[in-house]
Amino acid sequence: MSPVVLSLEDLHFSFGGLKVLDGVRMQVRRGEIRGLIGPNGAGKTTLLNIICGIHRPQQGDVRLNGVSIVGRKPSAIARLGLGRTFQSSQLFQGMTVLENMMVGLHRRTRTGLISAGLDRRRRRSEETEMEAAARAALAFVGLADLAERPATALSFGQQRVIEIARTLISEPALVLLDEPAVGLSANRLTELDILLRRIRQEKGVTLILIEHVIRLVMGVCDQVTVLSSGRAIADGPPAAVRSDRGVIEAYLGKDLGARYQAS
Amino acid sequence: MAAFGRRNVLLALLAAAMVLPAVANVYHLFIANLIVVYVLLAIGLNILVGYAGQLAFANAAMFGIGAYATGLLQVRLGWSFWLAFPGGALLAALVGLALALPALRLSGLYLALSTLAFAQATQWVFLHWESLTFGAGGFKTPALSFAPLPIDKPHGLYYLSLALLVALFLFAQNLVASRVGRAFVAVRDGEVAAQSLGIDLLRYKALAFGISGFYAGIAGGLYSAMLNFVAPEGFDLFQMVLQKAMIVVGGLGSITGSLLGAGLVIILLEALRAFKGLQEIVFGALLVAFVLGMRGGLVSLLKRHLRGWEEPLRLAQPAPPLVRARPLEVPAGGREQ
Repeated sequence: MSPVVLSLEDLHFSFGGLKVLDGVRMQVRRGEIRGLIGPNGAGKTTLLNIICGIHRPQQGDVRLNGVSIVGRKPSAIARLGLGRTFQSSQLFQGMTVLENMMVGLHRRTRTGLISAGLDRRRRRSEETEMEAAARAALAFVGLADLAERPATALSFGQQRVIEIARTLISEPALVLLDEPAVGLSANRLTELDILLRRIRQEKGVTLILIEHVIRLVMGVCDQVTVLSSGRAIADGPPAAVRSDRGVIEAYLGKDLGARYQAS
Repeated sequence: MAAFGRRNVLLALLAAAMVLPAVANVYHLFIANLIVVYVLLAIGLNILVGYAGQLAFANAAMFGIGAYATGLLQVRLGWSFWLAFPGGALLAALVGLALALPALRLSGLYLALSTLAFAQATQWVFLHWESLTFGAGGFKTPALSFAPLPIDKPHGLYYLSLALLVALFLFAQNLVASRVGRAFVAVRDGEVAAQSLGIDLLRYKALAFGISGFYAGIAGGLYSAMLNFVAPEGFDLFQMVLQKAMIVVGGLGSITGSLLGAGLVIILLEALRAFKGLQEIVFGALLVAFVLGMRGGLVSLLKRHLRGWEEPLRLAQPAPPLVRARPLEVPAGGREQ
């Protein structure tokens, strides 16, 4: 069995008196595409923010490649190999697509204040390397011809894909995708499906997909975790999760759930 | 490279600045030196505001700290100018670094207000800590001498300022086109996304504040030597407005723009000095015109009309034509942002 990349151990989190996570456990192995689904308010976004270091859990531990990351800054966690994308586009609007990609390489490069300002040759050579890597990463997602465009001149779907590419370029161990399918047309959804499979196959990156579009989750994920009322109520292959009684009840309520299962 | 490329224009300006003392009188030389000082201020402020996006109002205070520290280290501790000057610049840079701490938690209006409060407090110290700063009357600094070089003080100081400007201009220009400059812009355009890519907010905010403090400190040291005198008046809110106006007129997020904006504003103010009322009216009108009509500042004008004018960070390039053979996508679910 491949090693565990991310391990959530008994996470508890509440905003004031509101309990959001109530003892979540989850393990994601290398090379997996893990789906994370659940009804609205189940705690998915909070869980994601805890993994990224934006919130700190009151209890429990988050381990990335065996290293506890609770209490570290988001930027430090990113440097340990965690990438993420956002529900709404978070491209840097004042930059071109290529420059956005080069920011993605930040954790892979070293130029500091002094060498950036004084050492022209070193900066130039690093810039050239970064640019080549950025163009290659754009080619991987099939958007190489957008390199010189300002980020503001992209369509919604393109921004999504560029953002994924910008995260992938630094070769993270694990990428959290926060509802990448929101607002995509059927065609774009199919393209996203293919892209996610290619990322796993060709880049060997582990993915966690937080998503409401069940078609996408059931299609690409190896394992699905269902979150409801702050607990992981089911964990397993898509088919098993789909027919799980607890899951159906979480989505439809007890009455409707029972009727759905009977039908 | 086009004849009116950025590089050629800058080289021509530099050549003009080098030979200027041969034809200028004392007053013109003073104004030229003043422009150099303000260009330094504008570059530092532009890195902080235009690139890193930190809406801070402390640059006038840093300018004052540089001037006061350079002056006081000479007067109170008997240091030579050649030690006091870098000392003052470093002190201003350190104060800048410290200002990054509130900036980590505050942004936008709140950052503006807290840095404004800091600037007022600095002004208060200049005015009222008389046993250190000599209070409202200010103090004279020792006469600066360039001996054994065969050059008098105004010319020596001018060439010193110019040399520092060339070095610090190139440093800034290299910086903004590097990984560090892109990290600044990333922090400006989206803090959460920047962090998710491994950019440490505290580190890059501190860098931006420290750099702007250093540039303002250098400018302050030179300014105190120009006047041979330091007093609280020069470092007040109007000073801050003046510097902000320079980077808006020149172009936010452009090092060359800082130079053009500072030059234009100082020349305009001096040309209108004889007509006191007119000075303020024209200055106000200029600001309104640029804020309303030309957000990109002078630099955006040059980019549009001079072929070959290229800014280091490619974002400054005009957008390529959007009409292409491939159709634009329309998202099915809406939620276009």
